[in-house]
Amino acid sequence: MATRLKEVDAVMVGMGWTGSILARELTKAGLTVVGLERGEDLTPRENFALPAVRDELRYSYRLELIQDPALETVTFRHRPSESALPMRRFGSFLPGNSVGGAANHWGGQHWRYLPSDHLTRSHIVERYGAKAIPDDMTIQDWAMTYDELEPHYDKFDKLCGVSGKAGNLRGQKIEGGNVFEGPRSNEYPTPPLIMCESGLMFAKVAKELGYHPFPQPASNASRAYTNSEGLTLGGCQYCGFCERNGCEANAKAGPHVCVLPVLRADPKFTLRARAWVSRLSYDKAAKKVTGVVFTDTRTGEEYEQPAGLVVLSAYVFGNISLLLNSGIGEPYDPVTQKGVVGRNYCYQLSRLGVTLFFEDKVFNPFMGSPGTQMVMDDFDGDNFDHGGLGFLGGCKIQLGHADGRPISYRPVPPGTPRWGSTWKKATAKWYQHAARITLSGSNYASRYNYIDLDPTYKDQLGRPLLRMTYNFVENDYKVADYCMEVALKIARAMNPTMMGPPGLRRGDYNTVPYQSTHNTGGTIIGHDPKTSVVNRYLQAWDADNLFIMGASTFPQQPAYNPTGPVGALAYWSADAIVTKYLKSPGPLVHA
Amino acid sequence: MMHPSIVGAAALLLALSANPAAAADVEHGKVLYQTCAACHTERPDALGPSLKGVVGRQSAALEDFRYSNPMRRANLVWDENNLRAYIQDPQAKVKGNRMPYGGLTDAKDVDDIIAYLKVLK
Repeated sequence: MATRLKEVDAVMVGMGWTGSILARELTKAGLTVVGLERGEDLTPRENFALPAVRDELRYSYRLELIQDPALETVTFRHRPSESALPMRRFGSFLPGNSVGGAANHWGGQHWRYLPSDHLTRSHIVERYGAKAIPDDMTIQDWAMTYDELEPHYDKFDKLCGVSGKAGNLRGQKIEGGNVFEGPRSNEYPTPPLIMCESGLMFAKVAKELGYHPFPQPASNASRAYTNSEGLTLGGCQYCGFCERNGCEANAKAGPHVCVLPVLRADPKFTLRARAWVSRLSYDKAAKKVTGVVFTDTRTGEEYEQPAGLVVLSAYVFGNISLLLNSGIGEPYDPVTQKGVVGRNYCYQLSRLGVTLFFEDKVFNPFMGSPGTQMVMDDFDGDNFDHGGLGFLGGCKIQLGHADGRPISYRPVPPGTPRWGSTWKKATAKWYQHAARITLSGSNYASRYNYIDLDPTYKDQLGRPLLRMTYNFVENDYKVADYCMEVALKIARAMNPTMMGPPGLRRGDYNTVPYQSTHNTGGTIIGHDPKTSVVNRYLQAWDADNLFIMGASTFPQQPAYNPTGPVGALAYWSADAIVTKYLKSPGPLVHA
Repeated sequence: MMHPSIVGAAALLLALSANPAAAADVEHGKVLYQTCAACHTERPDALGPSLKGVVGRQSAALEDFRYSNPMRRANLVWDENNLRAYIQDPQAKVKGNRMPYGGLTDAKDVDDIIAYLKVLK
């Protein structure tokens, strides 16, 4: 029997970016808030300090900041006809664990989705007609426009001290920034990071070919910056250990640097680490949640935390799992296409690219951050005419040196053996002289890509694991092929000494090599409860005091990385809770 | 336009004649110090030790900060010369210390920061 704790106004399930932001906004509004986190507590001073934090083996290969699959993982299959097997080591994606969540080990690529990404279906129907969308492509509109979300994108920028250069300031296009982005109300909080040689070479050629390269916007502050919470970020030191590692210089934005110091000092907020939420208490008739049940992972004891308001702020998988394991919302069935929870699971097309070798250039790849890359969006989303192309969506195309770390960064020319003295000589010879054009592509929802509960395998608490049914579809291969042609055109124009083979998408999705921790969907936003889990304010259709944060609410995945919109949606939802819901609790949208 | 060698000679003359302490700009040092202040704060969870009163202090002297071993062994007094060398190239001055900072190359900027540290109490 779970020990019943004292009721609080609101409980956060997961203390990464969204849990921290919501906890901050709700305590500011006067609520008492408990933040529950499955993993342990961390502090930058203890956990992100030099020299230990620059340990590639510990963080990139032994995955110290990553969720332990022995406690909870997902099972995987490519298609409904197969039996799924559990992922016993995370590879393709790396969910975070511990206070700060995946923001502890993210790189910092910080985007806003394109205005057309917010209206994916209606934009395509308007431009190409309804027939352009294949039958099994279940894309939807977001339930709010870019312009509605812009003030919240702006707010998140100012929390993170994002570095970059605007390409559209209040409607005015600015050369050198991303001219395809939606209008921004303000310039980036800090200027772009100092660009590396390979990025400049790429930008020069891309521009000569008529494209619009710009510096990668990054939550790696380019200089000291005092954020919207009065907390100070340091200037990036270009150490090359952003992704997978904590930041030793306070320059990479994350809850520990940007929000938590304020929350920890607030008596209205209580943090409980090692508190693993197993289910929500749900009153189906009243359409309310009454609190959450969690297990203290140190003692195994179970507690019930009653709360007036529950915020699901776990990773994508945690959010979906808690709905399915609590009986909230109808599980999605791909055969009948009825049900909503687990629907429109999407990923991101990555591991696409081509490596160039320049005998006469020296790149110093060990210096950099995700922000030291030049990007072009000319073939992203619907920034180009898809008429007659036979696919929808696109890729961002980029080049730079972000993380030339000693174990994983070993570019060698085609034909080099994979081990032995010849390999050693080649890696020593080419380390300084290689650069890779990489592409990240959109991944539009497909009828048979979804998440449900596994019939066989269970987690350490005895709950069914999530089962992922996922594969690339024809549209994805075509996006990659088309954008690769553009990348190769730029590559040849850069006149390298030699080029590697184009890395394309062929065959089934492989869960083993790292691709990106950009899993999306499963509890998506929408206008209609028949095809979505949350309304435009991220409020669950099936429980008006339940709000669901994060990328699990994205109806499909654009080419960009998801953290920027994740933060913007958190502020957008918090604003709706404080200004609308608390004044008059109940459904904020009537379907 | 002046010939570059004349500009160079004038700058050299200025550098030789000016007293760096007198020329140092405390206000400018305070602005530059914002970069340091991202870690060197008074908060208990600060990433760097407090720099209040650091000028003249023994290295690794604060009891509430866990210094790196190289810094503990450095046995320096933070006078102007040691501070200047350390700020210009931290790893050259105390090899293996764990301050994540690459150094400040502009000699005037370094002087300005030191001038600010002198009044930071």
